[in-house]
Amino acid sequence: MTNLEQCLKCNLCTLVCPMMEVNPDYPGPKKAGPDGERYRLKDPAFFDYALKYCLNCKRCEVACPSDVRIGDMIQLARIKYGSQARRKGLTGLRDWTLANTDLVGSLASPFAPVVNEVLQLKPVKSVMDGMLGVDKHRTFPKYSKQKFVNWFRKQDQSAFDKFVSYFHGCYVNYNYPKQGQDLVKILNSAGYGVHLLEKEKCCGVALMSNGFAARAKKQGAVNLASIRKAADAGEPVLTTSSTCTFTMRDEYPDVLGLQNSDVRDNIMLATKWLYEKISSGEVKLKFRKDFRMKVVYHTACHMQKMGWQLYSIELLRMIPGLTLTVLDQNCCGISGTFGFKKENYGFSQKIGSKLFEDIRTNNPEYVATDCETCKWQIEMSTGIPVLNPIEILAEAIEL
Amino acid sequence: MRFDVVIIGGGWAGCSAAEKLVEAGRKVCIVSEGLSLSAVKYDSPYARLAALQKQGAVVLRGDRAVCGKIEDGKVVEVRTRNQDEPLVADEYILATGKFFSRGLLSDKDHVWEPVFGADVDYDPDRTKWYDPDFDAPQPFMKFGVKTDAEGHVLVEGRAIVNLTAVGDIRND
Repeated sequence: MTNLEQCLKCNLCTLVCPMMEVNPDYPGPKKAGPDGERYRLKDPAFFDYALKYCLNCKRCEVACPSDVRIGDMIQLARIKYGSQARRKGLTGLRDWTLANTDLVGSLASPFAPVVNEVLQLKPVKSVMDGMLGVDKHRTFPKYSKQKFVNWFRKQDQSAFDKFVSYFHGCYVNYNYPKQGQDLVKILNSAGYGVHLLEKEKCCGVALMSNGFAARAKKQGAVNLASIRKAADAGEPVLTTSSTCTFTMRDEYPDVLGLQNSDVRDNIMLATKWLYEKISSGEVKLKFRKDFRMKVVYHTACHMQKMGWQLYSIELLRMIPGLTLTVLDQNCCGISGTFGFKKENYGFSQKIGSKLFEDIRTNNPEYVATDCETCKWQIEMSTGIPVLNPIEILAEAIEL
Repeated sequence: MRFDVVIIGGGWAGCSAAEKLVEAGRKVCIVSEGLSLSAVKYDSPYARLAALQKQGAVVLRGDRAVCGKIEDGKVVEVRTRNQDEPLVADEYILATGKFFSRGLLSDKDHVWEPVFGADVDYDPDRTKWYDPDFDAPQPFMKFGVKTDAEGHVLVEGRAIVNLTAVGDIRND
């Protein structure tokens, strides 16, 4: 299952690990991955709890010349040996709350105005910091009054003869419906109707990283069943989040053991699908003449692992009036729910500092990125607003 | 996706070629599978690739060129692991290095170049691959793809006119 014997001990992964650079307690990808695996196979007692520091950014795998699945190995070890490391008491409650994006989102969104206000209050932040261990510096993404799915139900899609399916994800549904609305508008204006999946659950990435792999696997199976139905109807499943996409394409089979080879190619980012349709001439978009925007593009870690930043970047380059600079591919440091935890906040900001500096030097109007947690981190740390490439495209075309 | 030049390999040789080409205004794509050992020379391991990217080159980190298609003595496309669409260019540069970076692969009796199936210069007698003296220069480190006088790669004895080998992958 693992290919630890392919490791030549060259240490190139150690050179690129963002956690290694800021945290001397983390043994680094080589030791935590293939080296540690040798010992763990002999005796699970060798499991090192410092593996919790792994961001699962997969930068080690991208750098590895021998194709060792270092990141997967660490993830699998955490699931197999580290479940007893799941925290108890209030910190456990925090992890559970952060992990269950879907459930917590459903509970919070009916009370969105209240929840948003309360989460911003200094005393509330202090209490959460002190008792739950959610760092007080963090800004929580706001909950939306109207869920994306409720908005979508009112959109008539019956006039179209070609359809695509859309996996909106938790962030679009509970926090930021605009991103999904923009995609629906773009697709409709390109002549495509949109379907939602029959049943959509959270992709499970936050569950996996907080020690709830079994739940993640259950949700993954539900998603794959719906994705298969869409595939049978000949519809690709488009997404607007790089991490959901990466999780469903690669973490499902590699970490959760969910077979997806029949539909893996069907799951793709909307930017990739649009780029391919526009460059083949199948889709024509009418761009506004008066559009001007200065943007820098940040490649999210999972985007780099998939190798799909190419499509988002080239799609943005198609927009007349857009000035685009591609930033160096540095990690923003938040790694989903990791950076929300008090014990990790310092590491998170240290890791991100190179990226924040790079952004500030370029002084853009907006930062573009395909990952929502990068968005929260960059907005909080630089004050510069972040948009998904789909939102920029929606702004740039005549609808 | 179309480019002027596709460079396979983002190490010392590939980056040096890319820097000259980008400076000359060519649209370049670099397929950089894994990090090159030469990266340890820099403060930041991706410094050269990042600078190239800022200047407009497309850098595919962690992507692998799996197969190059050759028609009538010319490369027409290269397929990679992460992209559904092939990479298409006028010129291609092979800068994949030797064994460590998988520019050359080997089993017990053969050494081959995996992307284009280029002609590799090596001794079929395996006993001649190694020098038992650990400190001596090892003969296998001289193995590499055969090229014509202009550096074009030979495949089945024929020079591929738009495929140039640079750096360690060469047999010299």
